[in-house]
Amino acid sequence: MYPLTKLYAQKMFRLKLIYIFFACFFTASFFYAFLISTPQMEELLNINIRIVGRENFPEFMMRFYVGTVGILFNVFLLTLFICEEDRSKILYQPLLHGESRSRMIQSKTYVAVSMSIVFVLLIAIINYTTAFIRWGYKIFETAAVIRTIEKYLLSGIYMSCITLGIIALCICTRNTWKTIFFVAIYILTDSFIYSSNILFLQKIWIGYYLNLWAFSYEYQKMPLKEMLWEVFIMVLYGIMFYQVSLYRTKKIDF
Amino acid sequence: MEKIITVQNLRKVYKKETAVENVCFELMPGNIMGLLGTNGAGKTTTLKMITNLCSKDKGKIIIDDISLDSNPGLALSKVGAALDTPSFYQELTARENIECFARLYKNIPNGQVMELLDYVGLSTQAEKKVKKFSLGMKQRLALARAMLGQPKLIILDEPANGLDPQGQISLYRLICDMAKDKKTTFIVSSHQLHDMEKFCTDILILDKGKSILQGKTEEILSETTNIVDFILEETEVVENVLSHFRGISLTSHKGNQFTVKLESICLDEFIKKLVENNLHIRYLSMRKNSLQDLFLKLTGGVKQCIH
Repeated sequence: MYPLTKLYAQKMFRLKLIYIFFACFFTASFFYAFLISTPQMEELLNINIRIVGRENFPEFMMRFYVGTVGILFNVFLLTLFICEEDRSKILYQPLLHGESRSRMIQSKTYVAVSMSIVFVLLIAIINYTTAFIRWGYKIFETAAVIRTIEKYLLSGIYMSCITLGIIALCICTRNTWKTIFFVAIYILTDSFIYSSNILFLQKIWIGYYLNLWAFSYEYQKMPLKEMLWEVFIMVLYGIMFYQVSLYRTKKIDF
Repeated sequence: MEKIITVQNLRKVYKKETAVENVCFELMPGNIMGLLGTNGAGKTTTLKMITNLCSKDKGKIIIDDISLDSNPGLALSKVGAALDTPSFYQELTARENIECFARLYKNIPNGQVMELLDYVGLSTQAEKKVKKFSLGMKQRLALARAMLGQPKLIILDEPANGLDPQGQISLYRLICDMAKDKKTTFIVSSHQLHDMEKFCTDILILDKGKSILQGKTEEILSETTNIVDFILEETEVVENVLSHFRGISLTSHKGNQFTVKLESICLDEFIKKLVENNLHIRYLSMRKNSLQDLFLKLTGGVKQCIH
């Protein structure tokens, strides 16, 4: 491991904000697990506990994180990690201590991508924990567990690609608000493309696949062929975003 | 002796504006070069090109015989720098900040971090968070960080900013000591002309991106004109008499008080000429142009303020 990667990892995981966020998510997941089981709440939230509860609860809660909350949380952390460091002139400091630009962005990328995967893993652990507290061993229905793990894995890959995209945006704009603005545009465009009938656009749009497994295949197993195609598209996006970040980093005049 | 840095024909253009044009210099071990210029003269851009933080459009930079273009990593391993306003991880202590960057080097002994903090006078503040530091303390910490890895060349961009007079003196002393004892070469950009004149061995003045004066400080100052202020008994016809003197030029005149520049004659000759012309000297003093006078002359003088 590069010393620089270690330095960035330490810096990232020292952020209290991360721990506050996951404490809040645990609380929300815990209350959701207990709240939705009352008939009044089922009616109020327009959900059916027999569908979203028990073995489906971890998948139900996953959507809260991966869709919008997780992306916004990641963009917030990454703008702190890149744009704000750039603004305060600390981003380039490793370059004055023998590190190269490519090593610098590689280290940032390793940490950010690992972070996004760890976050999805933490979300899975939190949701399974709260579901277990509420429903006990009933949540471990084999087919549902395998299906949910598959979807969490896909979410991990999706969030990694989105993270790579946000890094590329941070490097290209070098501005916190511009980055947040473009991510907000992405989130809005995403729901528009999913609900539209432009098939070609849907096939090449990264966010479409998240909606596909979150909504079209809600609580259902996904065909392997479909999953492989999704992973292929997402990896392509990831490579493209990474190359853009690398190219731009080499060209920046600090 | 081997040159520590050679800069040749450095050029940088931002969109259509030329920030740096044809800047050249070379420095030997132990040299301290003062990089002077008005705001926007191209000082920071030059320093950033040397540290590879900014691309150059033309030119060559060789650091300790290694070309920055062909082996930037190795070339920059010989350089320590503190550029812009000093920036640190605010939530970490001074020691932790330096340790963070020390880890990027392979062979830094454990005790060196505290040694460096001690060297810049921050050993008692080592466990204090950087967010509680004053600008002056951050400047010192930035110098300690620049000294990591014992670089042969240290680049400091306006290091005296935010330092009190004592702090400035101790910083300059520190630089001089390092240059003398460790043969470290320094490039220091600053607006403190009076101090630069005292401790820099070399001077480079930039104006609108171009080098307008460079050389050894001693040589530059020895070439500067002698200025003579004098008071005579006479007021009439003096101006007419002085206009016939060769090698001087009258710069100001008020009543019987005169100021002349000695361009190609020495003071003795000038006094002799005054006496020969039956002019009676009441008072006379001679002074030299300072670096500040020279700087103001070369960069277009003091801008008028509107009150």
